[in-house]
Amino acid sequence: MALDVKKICLAAASAAAAAFLIYPASYSTAGSGADASGKESGAETLSAARREKDVQGAVNFEHALDSYQPKKDHYNFYFTYKIVHPWWDAVALGMEDAQRQYLKQGITVTYEYMAPNAASAADQTERLLGAQQGGYDVIGVDVADEAIISPIIDEMVDSGCKVMTFSSSDAAVGCKRIAYVGNTHNYKDGADLTEALCEKLNYEGEVAILVGSKGAPCHEDRAKGAKDTIAKYGNMKIAAIEYDMDSVDLAYELALKILREHPNLAGLVCCNMSNPVGVARAVVETGSDVVIVGMDHDQEALHYLDDGVIYCLGVQDCYSIGFETLQTAVKIADGNLPGEMFPEKRDEPTTIIRQQDAALMLSLLYGDVL
Amino acid sequence: MMKDKDISDKNFILTAVIGSLLVMALVIGTTLWASNETASETDEAVTAVSHFYLKAMADRRARIITNLINNNFEHMEKLLPIIAEENIDSQETLRAVIGKIKTLLSLKRFALVDEDNVVYTQYTTYTGGSRHAFLTADKLNKREISTVYLYGSSKQLCLVIPTDGLVLLGKPFKACFVQIDIEDIASLLAFDDPGRTCFGLYDRSGVNLSNTSLGSIVSGQNILEATKDILPKPEWEKMCRDFDDEAYGGLTFAFNGAEETLFYVPIPDAGWMMVILIRESIINDQIRGISEKHLEISNLQIGVTLGSMLLFAAVLLWRLWKISRMKLEAEMENSRAFESLANTDALTGVRNKHAYSEDEAALNRKIMGREIEKLAVVACDINGLKVVNDTKGHAAGDKLIKDASALLREYFVHGTVYRTGGDEFVVLLQEKGYDTREETIRSLNEIVEANIATDGVVISMGYSTLEPNDERLHDVFERADRMMYERKQELKQMGAKTREE
Repeated sequence: MALDVKKICLAAASAAAAAFLIYPASYSTAGSGADASGKESGAETLSAARREKDVQGAVNFEHALDSYQPKKDHYNFYFTYKIVHPWWDAVALGMEDAQRQYLKQGITVTYEYMAPNAASAADQTERLLGAQQGGYDVIGVDVADEAIISPIIDEMVDSGCKVMTFSSSDAAVGCKRIAYVGNTHNYKDGADLTEALCEKLNYEGEVAILVGSKGAPCHEDRAKGAKDTIAKYGNMKIAAIEYDMDSVDLAYELALKILREHPNLAGLVCCNMSNPVGVARAVVETGSDVVIVGMDHDQEALHYLDDGVIYCLGVQDCYSIGFETLQTAVKIADGNLPGEMFPEKRDEPTTIIRQQDAALMLSLLYGDVL
Repeated sequence: MMKDKDISDKNFILTAVIGSLLVMALVIGTTLWASNETASETDEAVTAVSHFYLKAMADRRARIITNLINNNFEHMEKLLPIIAEENIDSQETLRAVIGKIKTLLSLKRFALVDEDNVVYTQYTTYTGGSRHAFLTADKLNKREISTVYLYGSSKQLCLVIPTDGLVLLGKPFKACFVQIDIEDIASLLAFDDPGRTCFGLYDRSGVNLSNTSLGSIVSGQNILEATKDILPKPEWEKMCRDFDDEAYGGLTFAFNGAEETLFYVPIPDAGWMMVILIRESIINDQIRGISEKHLEISNLQIGVTLGSMLLFAAVLLWRLWKISRMKLEAEMENSRAFESLANTDALTGVRNKHAYSEDEAALNRKIMGREIEKLAVVACDINGLKVVNDTKGHAAGDKLIKDASALLREYFVHGTVYRTGGDEFVVLLQEKGYDTREETIRSLNEIVEANIATDGVVISMGYSTLEPNDERLHDVFERADRMMYERKQELKQMGAKTREE
């Protein structure tokens, strides 16, 4: 899993050179329009070096366990997340890295990492209640629906279970879960992406919002952030809101439908990982010039970003989320509570990347500069 | 005979030296010729060798991967019945069995998948529908080989077999699989070639799977993209087609002033291409290195041969010199002995008539050249020898001669005594013998005169010295001889025996 430093440096150098050629004077994080090459430029500027550093820091694959000495030599956890999906596969890789590092210290960590094929609060409830009887040291949950799952978590904690939340969605405020590791700023992510889109569209035109799973806090929060941002601008309006239920194929179908039904559509906000892939496929197929902003690190989406089909993507550090989740779970299993040892909410960042960052991100995540 | 022998030795030495030089020249010439031929043919061989070498290397490495794939499939096939027979009654025991298999096969990831796409590994159990592409199919019917592009840029080879009929923990299982890091495979392949060639594993679209670089040409990225501006367009397009068709191919091209040779072979079933690149100069260097090594060996051979031959020749000459010297010394010794024998009187041991004649001749040359001043001749004759021979026998006569000779030698210490006849002796005196002649002769005459009464040795002596008018030794001798006869008469009168008695 260790990154090829040489390759990264080379890719970074290439990206730096490209950035220097395309943006000799400045870098924009919130572009106000396209330049002659079709790439964006903006008011807020950062140096190319800072930009590379930000992009390289978007995902951290180089982790080491902290100095905490676990009290046991074997831990057994149960994690459940919203849906079988590549985003959580990336989280899983971070968890496996931590597990291997514990193993080198002579500490065996075993765990289950389970999800349904379709997001379902009922399914999650069933899994949690089953896990409650399994004698696990800690149960981790990526909340599918905070209204339904938060009371379940409370009951589990009351019964003596150690429950934490992780990855994309925390439980409701006031829930008794012990700690959360993951994205704490989904609303802001949605708002930031949409703000970039509005600026790109010069704050006018129709925008559609594609959401992931209904009730999934992370998706809903981003959608809310998008809606609130669009609402700020009088010349903009929301043309449609659709849910792809974390299916690329459904996202593609929905995008075709939206493009067909709203020929004047100027932009599309994608709130999960499958949205931008399906939407980009539809946009390329129809030859539309709709501006796409979206979430996450899907390889196909990054290629669309590199090609200029997608305008910007919000990349979360799934690897770090996975690594820190497992490390926090070990501490919770030993009876520790949030404080100096670990925070009650560990926030992992989201980095918005653009076309000029795509090659470097592809290289970082997939070792592929195509 | 001696002369013939000298000529034979010289011929032998000459033949040995010439033969050695010829052999040396032949060895040096042959070696240099062979070296030059090798060097001149090297360049011609390089192109042919490079393609052959790279193809053979690429084929060998491709076979290693194919064997790795087949071995892992076979291992999994053999393990399934063993897993089925294990008493697996919990997730923990299943994990333990998987852990044993992992250790046994030295695998990083070995896993079983149930019908719900739940993946069981040694430490984790996870829903793997989105993580493993082969799980998108409802049912597996045959072995599957795929390349997994992991988030984080790691790429792995995934080998899957269906597990029809396998039921564990009350659930049917659909597959088992291993995942091997492609970088580990690259390390395995690099083991037999420490840095002489560059190689890489690529998928059909040119994506670098092994995270290896082809020198400075393709440093880890997509090979088709990286070579697009380097290769001539027709060759690049052919390479792209070959990659897509999984076909063999090879080409030589110039890059940064150096000739590069690249060869690619498909790896059956994996959908990969093995690409090997070598710089023409490296092949040249390698072959030249071999030639130079051979040349060094030849030079060493020449040196050793020359050294051996020189050493041999030196030893041979030394031995010949030593033999010749020994022969020469022996011959000189023989000559001296022969000469001594020829100039010595056998009865008395003093010099004989022959010696006297030789010395007389030598002295005559000196006298003629006026090179000598001090020279005296003493003519001696034994009195009564005939009487002794006649009355007492020849043995007594011989004894008398010996006694006379001994007496002369005793007194003429600084002179040379010659027996020139039966009872005649001559003594030549020079230098110190000349200076003390009168005293010596007087002393000896006194003894002789005393011997008359005792019937001892009586010798009549007369002497003369070299005079300015003498032209030869015989002149001196005649005067001495006359004086000796006079003395003989004196001694007769004193009672000495004479011939007449």
